[in-house]
Amino acid sequence: VKVALRQIPLIALVLAMLTAIGAVAAPKDDTIAIIVNRSSPVKELGEREIKQIYTNAILRWPEENTPIVIFDLSISDPVRRKFSNAVIGRSPEKVAEDWAHLKITNQAVNPPITLKSQRLIIKRVALKKGAIGYVAKRMIEKDDKVRIVLTIK
Amino acid sequence: MNHISARNAAPLARALLFVLALLLFASPGASIANDEGQTIPQDAEAPDSAEPVEGAPDDRDARMERLEKQNAELLKELRVLRKRVEKLEKPAMAAPGTEEHEAEEATFSKEQAEALEEIKERVELVESETEETKFSILSGLVNVSGYADAEFHFTDDHEEQSRFRIHHLSLFFKKEIQDRWKFFSEVEYEDAPLMEGDDDTALPTDLVEGHGKIFVEQMYIEYRPIIELDVRFGRFLTPAGIWNIYHYPPYVPTQTRPLIVRSVFPQVSDGMQLWNTLTMGGAVLDTHLYVSNGSGNPGKTDFNENKAVGARVNFAPGILDGFDIGGSYYGEKSNSGDRRHSYGAHLRARYGNLTLQGEFAGRKNDMGDGAVDYDNMGAYGQLSYDVGKWTLAGRYDWYDADDSMDDDEIFRYTGAINYHFAHNVVGKLEYDYNEFEDPLMENFHEVIAAIVIAIGDL
Repeated sequence: VKVALRQIPLIALVLAMLTAIGAVAAPKDDTIAIIVNRSSPVKELGEREIKQIYTNAILRWPEENTPIVIFDLSISDPVRRKFSNAVIGRSPEKVAEDWAHLKITNQAVNPPITLKSQRLIIKRVALKKGAIGYVAKRMIEKDDKVRIVLTIK
Repeated sequence: MNHISARNAAPLARALLFVLALLLFASPGASIANDEGQTIPQDAEAPDSAEPVEGAPDDRDARMERLEKQNAELLKELRVLRKRVEKLEKPAMAAPGTEEHEAEEATFSKEQAEALEEIKERVELVESETEETKFSILSGLVNVSGYADAEFHFTDDHEEQSRFRIHHLSLFFKKEIQDRWKFFSEVEYEDAPLMEGDDDTALPTDLVEGHGKIFVEQMYIEYRPIIELDVRFGRFLTPAGIWNIYHYPPYVPTQTRPLIVRSVFPQVSDGMQLWNTLTMGGAVLDTHLYVSNGSGNPGKTDFNENKAVGARVNFAPGILDGFDIGGSYYGEKSNSGDRRHSYGAHLRARYGNLTLQGEFAGRKNDMGDGAVDYDNMGAYGQLSYDVGKWTLAGRYDWYDADDSMDDDEIFRYTGAINYHFAHNVVGKLEYDYNEFEDPLMENFHEVIAAIVIAIGDL
């Protein structure tokens, strides 16, 4: 029994290492994919362009001259937090406050449409010509009619 | 494997059509009942503003949840139908060249193929329409939003008392009338207004008590033919500077407004406004042009034929993130014949969590009745810093009501701390020191503690 008890730290260490290896071997992919409707001629976009779209500095797709329809996730969504910090450069709360101020004064030109789930964003982008949205890349299935124009790791 | 032969394809297609007809009760032109039992046309426009947004009330959330569930069930059924249609598309045919194959070909006629194609199209349509259904339901409602705040106001000003104040209850009503037409209004209730009549008086409608303010601050019909152009008819906030438009308590750090606001440019204008947004390589140029009654808003108190004209430009160069600069002009002739020319410049710069905002505004008053012409002018500079849920702000204010007179300038020094309980709930603590050049006026201090909320889908 004493021998077995002495082995406990060793067993714990091995288990911890195996867990760590497992975590490294199968990390949860939290890459964000920026998606557009598949009919869009846009093949790829840069982070700066996406920020300009999400802040209304670009209102139309230059290739088609059609208005851009912007989809966003809710403030509490971790995917939005990552997108907001990485692309917009501000927290989702601050960005939401800015939009709310523009909306309450009716000065918002083309505010993002907030949807509650990533699946809904994929569906809406697939249905709406000129749409742009973002979701976790792993959420996109083969038959979704969307195109990835940028990924953010 | 369960093959569906061409011979039984036709009755199955008819059966599918029947099932779809039942499912497509919610197809264009038809109507469905919502949770309250109201019948809502399905071919109504589904404006973007009616999308589910964060911060929606619980009952709306619950309704959305139910709708999403119904929607998911409908889509599930449709997926099953699609699979069956796919099977029908590829019937198990007998070997080509055989008599049996020819018979099957004949049975699986062109009409049936077309019918199947039609079913496929209907399935596609229903998938997209069920997605839109919930938005159609919401678009039937008027969008209500707004803000409210309650304060405790402490002052050592001898003319005022320290008190609780139900400062604002402002309600915004928005409605997409048509694709490009929108109605927008803001009704403000200030200081919890009370108006009361008395049945005992000779005239039952006599107002025996009244205080507070009810004000239709905005009411206009909006036409947006293209995304960059917006035309407004009615009463709107006078587009001048920054604070006159962007001043709503949940989104500004102080409860008091800068001294120049409403002293140089009018708060609201009744008329027509053209707003154009021009984007070029990441830069944005906003232009507001408007014509209005000028002094004497509303129209019933406009006793002259002269109309006021105004303009505001705001430029945000793309290369400087968070930087805006602009100017405003407003010219009018008052009812008493005074000519007034107001002009202003504004700037806003954001660097990281630090925001600097400043405005200067002045008005030349050419008096028509032989009185002495004068200018009134003022400025403010405000610096705010966001750190986590906190916002710290400081502001310096200056206002000269009449440059032809000595000792009438006012200075105000403001410090404020905000705590954002949520993106739409803010607690504020503000300190103001008001200093008067006029020796007859007594300087005073104010402390305002406020809780402010934004209401609705913002």
